[in-house]
Amino acid sequence: MFTLRRWWDRHWLQVVLVGLTLGTAWVIEQTQGAAIFEVYQSLTRPFQSNPNQQEKLINARVQEMLVQLSQLQTENQKLKQLLGYVAERKQPGIVAPIVGHSADQWWQEVTLGRGTKHGIQVGSYVMAPGGLVGRVVSVTPHTSRVLLISDAASRVGVMVSRSHQMGYMRGQDSHKAVMQFFDKVLDVRPGDVLVTSSVSQLFPSGLPVGRVESLNLQKSPAPEAAIEFTAPISYLEWVVVYPPTSE
Amino acid sequence: METLLKISNLSPRARQFVNWSVNVGSVLVCLLVLPTRLPGMELLGIGPNWLLIWVVAWSVKRSPFHGAVAGLALGMIQDGMTSPDPTHALSLMLVGILTARLQKQRWIQEDFISVALIVFGMTMLAGTVTALQYLLQGSRSWAEIWVAHERITLSSAILTSLWAPVVYYPLNRWWEGTKVQQS
Repeated sequence: MFTLRRWWDRHWLQVVLVGLTLGTAWVIEQTQGAAIFEVYQSLTRPFQSNPNQQEKLINARVQEMLVQLSQLQTENQKLKQLLGYVAERKQPGIVAPIVGHSADQWWQEVTLGRGTKHGIQVGSYVMAPGGLVGRVVSVTPHTSRVLLISDAASRVGVMVSRSHQMGYMRGQDSHKAVMQFFDKVLDVRPGDVLVTSSVSQLFPSGLPVGRVESLNLQKSPAPEAAIEFTAPISYLEWVVVYPPTSE
Repeated sequence: METLLKISNLSPRARQFVNWSVNVGSVLVCLLVLPTRLPGMELLGIGPNWLLIWVVAWSVKRSPFHGAVAGLALGMIQDGMTSPDPTHALSLMLVGILTARLQKQRWIQEDFISVALIVFGMTMLAGTVTALQYLLQGSRSWAEIWVAHERITLSSAILTSLWAPVVYYPLNRWWEGTKVQQS
């Protein structure tokens, strides 16, 4: 008892400081660093670019429209065979600047300078000139964190817009992904355009995602394709956030 | 040195308070720099690992226990900022313990290059620990992890060791100064 008492007398400050440090770290972990991102946002606000002045990405916008056009053409053909199709109404998006990148190299994330105060919620999907970029995974009042489709943890259900062949896509690095098909026999060619599939639960169907770069039909258990994203993910400065699809 | 002289006039309690605010403040700066990618801070889209530099700077002249606590705390914070699965706490804790166990000052007096080398090695180690965690999880294939590990760890290690003196030099000056005062 006496030795314990002496040890405490000598080390109490250290014990308290260690406890305090680990306690604070734990709180920050549980709140997903919300306080840090809020401070970060308020500090970097003067340096952020104004989304309205961005004219450089018009080229990417044209590409997105071409992708959408080819998707609409196929969809239109299908629609002619169907009756009683209810048109989806498109909700307005929130334009948000990208203010930060992922805090670690193993994750492909970006931080946006808009949060719950501006109407962004967890599960919102994020578009950029060129196509789909990712999904909001956490929000604070003024920032939100987006898991990019280029992250290995994000899996997106996609289909080839020409032949409607489905599969899912896994990110690899900032501009590439791998798509695994569900079918063995394929009608896919390099250059084919990919859109989010109609069975995807996280994203609405028909959003442009990427282009088939090369095919590996011998791959088992399922054929694979290397995908190049249409959105220039590593050069983006602003994005548009749309509310989640589920009602 | 002038600031140190002023600090020596303070009471021990106040001095300790100032010392801890410097510690916490420097961690905060590292955390805030983490999401930025300023020109020159990026190699193939990969930035330096500022928290690892801080942990190495902290542990180099301290006990393994101090290193472990710092690594654990900063690892938990980084988990909050990215994703806790796989955890950074494990790799940073290991970095803290090993850096303290090296007992660098006993073998090498010189500071700059040896610290940069330690940071280089420790970044490789931290990257390997993360890769091993992915491997145990089994969500990615072996080949995929290997390619990612090679791409991330090497450029991250080069960048991190190049930027290490920026964090290490001022912090070390400060800690040396406070140690002189206490003795």
